[in-house]
Amino acid sequence: MSDYQPKILGFLCNWCCYTAADSAGVGRYQYPPNLRVIRMMCTGRLDPSFPLEGLAAGADGIFVGGCHPGECHYIDGNYHALISASLVHEVLARIGINKERFLIDWASAAEGPNFVKIITHFTHRVAALGPLGSSEKLDAEEVRHKLSAAAEAARGRKVRTGLINASKEMIKGGDFSRETISDLVATKCDKALNTLLG
Amino acid sequence: MNAHAQTGSATAMSGAVMVVGGGVAGVQSALDLTELGYKVYLLEKSGAIGGVMARLDKTFPTNDCSLCILAPKLVEVGRNPNIQVLTKSELIDLQGTAGSFTATVRKEPRFIDEEVCTGCGQCTLYCLKEIGDDYNENLRHTQAAHIDYAQAVPTSYYIDAKACLHLNYETCGLCAVVCQANAIRFDQKQETLEIPVGAVIMAPGFGRISNEVMARYGWGKFKDVLTAFEHERLMCASGPTNGEIVRLSDKKHPKKIAFLQCIGSRDETCGNNYCSSVCCMYAIKQATLAREHDPDCEITLFYMDVRTHGKGFDAARERAISENNFRVIYARPPRVEDVFDGGLLLTWAAEDGSHHYEKFDMVVLSQGLESPDDAEQLAQAATIELNNYLFAKTGNYTPLATSRPGVYVIGAFQGPKDIPDSVIQAGGAAALCAGQLVPARDSETVKASFPEERDISAEEPRVGVFVCHCGINIGGVVDVRAVRDYAQTLPNVVYATDNLYSCSQDTQGLLVETIHKYGLNRLVVAACTPRTHEPLFQATLRDAGLNRSLFEMANIRDQCSWVHMHEPEAATEKAKDVVRMAVAKAAYLTALKEQQLPVTPSALVIGGGLAGITAALAIADQGFVTTLVERGKTLGGRALLLSADRFGNDPRQVVHDLIARVRKHAKITLYTQAEVKAVSGYVGNFTTTVAVNQGSEVINHGVAVLATGGRPYEPGQYLYGKSTKVMTQLDLEKRLAGSRPLSKEIRQVVMIQCVGSRGEDLSYCSRVCCGQALKNVLRLKKLQPDLQITVLYRDMRAYGFLEDDYLRARQQGIIFTRYDVANKPEVMPGKGKSSPLTVRYYDPLLNETIERATDLLVLSVGIVSEDPTELARMLKVPVTADKFFLEAHVKLQPVDLPVDGTYVCGLAHSPKSMDETIAQAQAAAGRACQPLAKGVITPVPIVSQVDPELCIGCGVCESFCPYKAIQIYKEGKVRKARTITASCKGCGVCAARCPTMAIDMGRFTMDGIMAQIHAFGEEARAEQR
Repeated sequence: MSDYQPKILGFLCNWCCYTAADSAGVGRYQYPPNLRVIRMMCTGRLDPSFPLEGLAAGADGIFVGGCHPGECHYIDGNYHALISASLVHEVLARIGINKERFLIDWASAAEGPNFVKIITHFTHRVAALGPLGSSEKLDAEEVRHKLSAAAEAARGRKVRTGLINASKEMIKGGDFSRETISDLVATKCDKALNTLLG
Repeated sequence: MNAHAQTGSATAMSGAVMVVGGGVAGVQSALDLTELGYKVYLLEKSGAIGGVMARLDKTFPTNDCSLCILAPKLVEVGRNPNIQVLTKSELIDLQGTAGSFTATVRKEPRFIDEEVCTGCGQCTLYCLKEIGDDYNENLRHTQAAHIDYAQAVPTSYYIDAKACLHLNYETCGLCAVVCQANAIRFDQKQETLEIPVGAVIMAPGFGRISNEVMARYGWGKFKDVLTAFEHERLMCASGPTNGEIVRLSDKKHPKKIAFLQCIGSRDETCGNNYCSSVCCMYAIKQATLAREHDPDCEITLFYMDVRTHGKGFDAARERAISENNFRVIYARPPRVEDVFDGGLLLTWAAEDGSHHYEKFDMVVLSQGLESPDDAEQLAQAATIELNNYLFAKTGNYTPLATSRPGVYVIGAFQGPKDIPDSVIQAGGAAALCAGQLVPARDSETVKASFPEERDISAEEPRVGVFVCHCGINIGGVVDVRAVRDYAQTLPNVVYATDNLYSCSQDTQGLLVETIHKYGLNRLVVAACTPRTHEPLFQATLRDAGLNRSLFEMANIRDQCSWVHMHEPEAATEKAKDVVRMAVAKAAYLTALKEQQLPVTPSALVIGGGLAGITAALAIADQGFVTTLVERGKTLGGRALLLSADRFGNDPRQVVHDLIARVRKHAKITLYTQAEVKAVSGYVGNFTTTVAVNQGSEVINHGVAVLATGGRPYEPGQYLYGKSTKVMTQLDLEKRLAGSRPLSKEIRQVVMIQCVGSRGEDLSYCSRVCCGQALKNVLRLKKLQPDLQITVLYRDMRAYGFLEDDYLRARQQGIIFTRYDVANKPEVMPGKGKSSPLTVRYYDPLLNETIERATDLLVLSVGIVSEDPTELARMLKVPVTADKFFLEAHVKLQPVDLPVDGTYVCGLAHSPKSMDETIAQAQAAAGRACQPLAKGVITPVPIVSQVDPELCIGCGVCESFCPYKAIQIYKEGKVRKARTITASCKGCGVCAARCPTMAIDMGRFTMDGIMAQIHAFGEEARAEQR
């Protein structure tokens, strides 16, 4: 499909990535027109269910953009976003969806060009993967059904308790690397996800 | 006679202030004054406020869209009931004394009634008389009946009396025929108004370098020699070429542009020896944007010195130069010649004396800032003194006061300066007026009143959608009408329309009308970005009797038309999607209660240096209790290390006088040897614990000013501390003030600039060191005229009137030699302890390395901040990589910190001189008094809300909240969470982590975001099927 245009939904924080996107506009930097943006005050607002819901609703890729680690306008909201993001990646892996369809990355308010680079690259990547399910060789309707169930689970107490424990340990440990956070989330949510997703 | 003129006894104090000049400085001071409780008459000579900033495309160093950040302020002025804008008006006389002046104002007719004009533009459309468009530097035409620019305030057209066919020949008159509003008034006459005011702020801005000076560089003779103002208009999307930088001769894109600096500045031959302070930086901005317009364009900048001494400027300049491969040549502005094939030939002599010539496609003249054309007239009208360059005369320690009490000066008329410095002075002058007019506060103002909010809780959503063309910014790419028609089909939308400029003042009126007419209860504006324009539309919503939370913006410019300029169809589709998502969210918006929280009417000032004591006095003078906390034993800070200013006065005397005033002031409580240990609370309601004498004091205050200051960098280089012949400028100041300043043996003196600065230990330029070195060489020369002095420098940053010192120093035989950062001077000790040192450096003029013996080596070291980390952590305010406090907005909020109710001034903000410190401290005091004068604050209602039914009291939210804004309380035996509204910043971490989804965020609700996600999905799913 040469003219395939992926549908990409973005969640951008008001202070960094949304501002970077605005400044890309001010500088007239051009990027592919596939992204649709939902503004939030902070990526810390990212409910773990939002990206899953987005994919279930019809997105082929989801982008979450915040401030660089250590530069969150609200001190540590983006670390909490990494916790939510890890859950999304974990769910995608379990359903068999390419993890690259979900990206969380950073651009500071001054980094319009960096934002453009991230979005351009992500759009090309998702375009290469094709519509949700195609590169995974899965039935799109069935995948969306599963994602919807996963989003529901992410709003449930069991998964959220796992995420709370992961967040607490992350803050206590003081290690905010993606690997550590995703290991934490995988461990803390393992049981809940097993029961819910099988 | 003016109906607004007040009657009353001549001696009664007036609660009104006249601001002369409607540029950014005047506008800011007007807004600040009304917040402090004073009425403002804002005089503007032209037909609209906005000044030069409204003509700029972008502002350095962030390259923000200039008009986009200014326009909301202009609209705010336009709608402020306590500001009366008098356009086409000039001050012609000022009688009386401070507190009770009578200002005489001459108001020229607009010939179009601004109260009646709807801004439709029919008059321009039908006007037969073409005139040059001054707003666009006469690079295109407009008509005699016109408006300066689309977002102009007042949003009313006016007629150029010199050009109008009807006014001059009694013919035409078409405008009166076509004007549907019947606003044309050919019979309007000049009026003379007498207005009683308590104080006057002069803010007339700057004048232009004469055409004759510009002609020396080929301007006016060769079409492709442009002034920087012309180039700025060409860059601008709303400019004469719709944002295309083209040669005026052949409309081709220039591939090689030269920027010539110091045109009309640092040039005695045109009478302006001073440096205009802003051109070095704006040239970098323009060059950067020229590259963005055409990445193949080669750019060369001709500098005498690169003077980018502002906060963060050096970093921005270096980045711009390296990213864009700019070529920087140190040379006097060269001559410009035309060559037969349409190129422009520049010839110049490099620093080593070699001659060069090269051809360019375009030459941009970085013209300086001059005193206003009518400076003398204005000075006469206000009876104030001017300096020898015809700028307003001010004192080093009273930088904002003119020679006449009660008359203040701000902005470029006080001396050439950039936007943030002008805004700082605006805030400072407002504070001084407020201090002077305390008894008359609130005596002439009316409370901004909004109609009572309509209760919409029982109504079905009725959404109105306004799609903005933003001139051609959106409309040039996105099919705006198609988006409007699409919006009309969306659920809950009862009305959709499109506007040329949604942000213009007349559109605000239209919005209110439409909301009433269609009974709208939610508003969606598809335009630019909510980051800049949401407050404007929210105020309009309130005008229409709706809660401001019932608003959503769809960003179809910054994140759509501007970034998909070559894909109009895809951009239009995207705009439709974004509007659909916004409309979906809008249905879930609810009115959020506005909280009114009381303000503790007192201030805390941290730091007792010059900045702190000035701020404390300016706050206390406005009648508010102030606590001043100083860590050291005494007040005065580092200012006491300076023994003379550049005028020969002793600043220590001034500082001691200020300290005496602080100690005597009834409203000031002083703690020395006291340190801030903890801060809690929020604007209006802070509680700070201060450790004093083994005990501690708890202080309740409404606002906090941070004036924690800086200290000199301690050098380890150039034998400092190892040889008694090496000292810093501050050591020298101390010596010079002593009884035996110079021993007879000293014959040779060398100074080295930028020691530790600009990329060594400190990445930044400390701004004041060049001026201090110049002052001290002149002091040395005065003491011992036969001294041989050499100053080794990188760029001599003698900005503003400091250039006079630079000239004087050169005239007195002091040698200035530039060194390159890659080839720094070296210092070697002499053989014996008392033998002279040897300084080895490369002299570019002689093109050889020189060894020079010196009896005294003086190092110009930079300024480092007193470590702000602890305090920043307590107050949750950000600091820059260089450890200075980071202001909320570098251009328009230069003393506000991002945490409401906290302000910064002095060296804690960035290195600056004493007069700049005083102005900034006064500005901080002015801004800080705004919540105090108001008495209440109204936080933005985007805070979290806990549903007690769902809350299980687990306390997770409390543990994760970065602001301690959510607390567990006990209701009998049950634990529940609750939000402390005033502390909550709305990040939403609590909502994302709550195990039972009991927490939701105002305006960013679960339901609202889910609606956005599903609205996004609709189209996607439809296509996928």
